[in-house]
Amino acid sequence: MTWVWLLVLTAAALGLGYAPINEKLKAFLLVCTTLAKILVIAAIFMHLRYERLNLILLTFVPLVLAIILFSFTFPETVGTVTHVLNVR
Amino acid sequence: MDSSLAAEQQRILASNWGGGKSPFGTSWSKFMMWIFIISDALTFMAFLVAYGFMRSISPMWPKQTEVFNMVLITFMTFVLISSSAVMAMAVGAARAANPKLAFRFLVLTIVGGFIFLGCQAFEWSHLIEEGARLTHNPWGVPQFAASFFVITGFHGFHVFSGVTILAIVAIRAALGKYSADQIENAGLYWHFVDVVWVFVFAFYYLL
Repeated sequence: MTWVWLLVLTAAALGLGYAPINEKLKAFLLVCTTLAKILVIAAIFMHLRYERLNLILLTFVPLVLAIILFSFTFPETVGTVTHVLNVR
Repeated sequence: MDSSLAAEQQRILASNWGGGKSPFGTSWSKFMMWIFIISDALTFMAFLVAYGFMRSISPMWPKQTEVFNMVLITFMTFVLISSSAVMAMAVGAARAANPKLAFRFLVLTIVGGFIFLGCQAFEWSHLIEEGARLTHNPWGVPQFAASFFVITGFHGFHVFSGVTILAIVAIRAALGKYSADQIENAGLYWHFVDVVWVFVFAFYYLL
């Protein structure tokens, strides 16, 4: 059952990748689906939901650090524009 | 005064950090595997944030749908998620003291890992054939192939070492030297590898 949900989320992410929507919205929604997937995998496959709270919080440390690192580096990219190359 | 001190002492000794038991409520092997997973996650986090930064400041970036075979990449994602599900079943079988069934599920997981590695190797050969290298590539943005090879290379190496660990655990299970804890810890590593791929798939291929 979990596997089915993961496939649904993957299909949703794939659909998002191709959806003709604004880049920022696409990024936000992709982050949401990715977070949903990893929470499902961590909680159910990795049995994290049965562990003690301090261990669960410990595993959130990389995510928090990632958000901090991203928030420090991303503002440095403001002012540049990325164009998408059409290759062929 | 004394009795409240004694009560306080009792409270501390009985708490999680009172000594004599794991403060995180789990075996040392599982806890060490989690510590390792957290540190490895930090490595991949560094790679992905660096990739995000490079891409954001790059004036141009190739369209992934035109460089990669998205059907193959989606198939790879499907294979890895399915192998994770099968691994969870192997852990369940091990916990239910059924080593034969656990062995079969482990073999299926290893097969899934090999399929993933084969597809990844095919992707690499296809890109290298087109002229992609660490320092330059035919799509005009050197960072594109560099980040591709480093991120998927590190991830592929993790998949390969995961397959090795699973093979060792599977052989031990077949020989009857199995331990449910070992299979569970190997499962934790395999799920971590899947989680990293979820991130790479979303941020490198889809965004």
